[in-house]
Amino acid sequence: MDVGARPHPLTSDLADVVGRLRENTVEMRSRGRASGSGIIWRADGLIATSAHVVADAEPVRPGAQVVLADGRRLPATLVAWDRKLDLALLRVEARDLPAALIGDSDRLRAGELVLAVGHPFGLIGAVVTGVVHAAPALGRHAGPRWVQADLRLAPGNSGGPMADAGGRVVGVNAMIVGRLALAVPSRVVEAFAMRCAPR
Amino acid sequence: MQTLLSLSNDLASAVERAARAVVTVHARPRLPSTGVLWRPGIVVTAEHTVRVDEEIRVALSDGPAAPATLVGRDPGTDLAVLRIGESDRLAAEIGDSAELKVGNLVLAVGYGPRASWGVVSAVGGAWRTWRGGEVDRLLRVDLVLYPGFSGGPLVDASGKVAGLVTSGLSRQLELAVPTSTVTRVVEELLATGRVSRGYLGVGLQSVALPEALRRLAPGAGTRGLIVVSIEADGPAARAGLMLGDVLVALEGTPLHDPGDVPAAIAGRRVGTTVTVSLVRGGAPLDLTVTLGERPSRRR
Repeated sequence: MDVGARPHPLTSDLADVVGRLRENTVEMRSRGRASGSGIIWRADGLIATSAHVVADAEPVRPGAQVVLADGRRLPATLVAWDRKLDLALLRVEARDLPAALIGDSDRLRAGELVLAVGHPFGLIGAVVTGVVHAAPALGRHAGPRWVQADLRLAPGNSGGPMADAGGRVVGVNAMIVGRLALAVPSRVVEAFAMRCAPR
Repeated sequence: MQTLLSLSNDLASAVERAARAVVTVHARPRLPSTGVLWRPGIVVTAEHTVRVDEEIRVALSDGPAAPATLVGRDPGTDLAVLRIGESDRLAAEIGDSAELKVGNLVLAVGYGPRASWGVVSAVGGAWRTWRGGEVDRLLRVDLVLYPGFSGGPLVDASGKVAGLVTSGLSRQLELAVPTSTVTRVVEELLATGRVSRGYLGVGLQSVALPEALRRLAPGAGTRGLIVVSIEADGPAARAGLMLGDVLVALEGTPLHDPGDVPAAIAGRRVGTTVTVSLVRGGAPLDLTVTLGERPSRRR
């Protein structure tokens, strides 16, 4: 057997999915400092992220900026935010952005592959892989049901995408509890976007 | 894209298949643990999570919690066996842990079902746990054992059970008890309610054997084990062993370290006899000891 001549198809598949997901992921900055990650939710400039990435006591930190994967830096304005859902929507002046494919968080199965892209510790576009720990309906926490994943996130992953094996975004990474990654399900994000920024 | 998607589907299906035989075990305060329906009506879980002997409740993957009875425990291998009322439920598909190789993808499944994934990080030969049990193979996995996962199945990519995960056998490492060990313990607990281990009833300390003594006792190594305590009326006492005897071999196997003794007799049943070679007062001597049962110290 000609070992090492060609990578396993799994490897190239993973590289393809990760490559696309990195284009859908943005870096959130405020006051010139990185504050987390975000997702290009729509090609017309709608960005989804976690509320705690763009706001703390005040609704939005001044001077919010979005850095695209191609390096462009765009000023962002706040469209809506919800502390309970831990979601925020921002808008940048741009068209034809590489929008993320949106998956269906309600159809996740325990054990299926998930990956996350984000900017933990200043590493741009870092990827981690794992599996769905439990489908969203099992969330024990009050309020929104979470996608729970056996996935090693770090603080800078907040607001970034959790995606399935097809690269479809199934959640917005929100927090780490114990060694579990929790994400706001894509269903919740999509409903929030339809409510606050109708097409 | 197809390879990645089909792997993802396979993993989810493996969890789904295994989850049918995964149960929730309520046998300690607050946090339940996981169990596997090893045979129809028979559940195996991690012994350290069974903190009570009565009023244990077990919930099947799709049902309410129902009373279960404790068949027996083997603290040595951290396994406990429970009997549930419902016996027409299909049991888990049990694979062979010996087929696992380092690097194989595996999943741990907790009640829920909840999943955790990783790879087999090391395999090895038989080993003795800190609790004194004999485990057929060392099976170390690189995955997170989330709270409540102990007693759940280690599952291969096809959904077959490849072991039982527990955090009770090591503080540092994530370990799984191989399926052959679980089946052996289940059979013994079902037959007798306990796993008995052969027992001598002596306290031993390693000593260097002088060259002269070694020549006297053929089969002796460089060290022997001196008897420093002896249980009154224990198996060794009844066979005539005395304080100060220096044991040099057991069934022809040289003894260097006190741990060699349980290793040599653990597999032997209570009531069988072993030949102990020793040196007493400068003269070699062989004694036949009938193995007894370790007195219970638990609860």
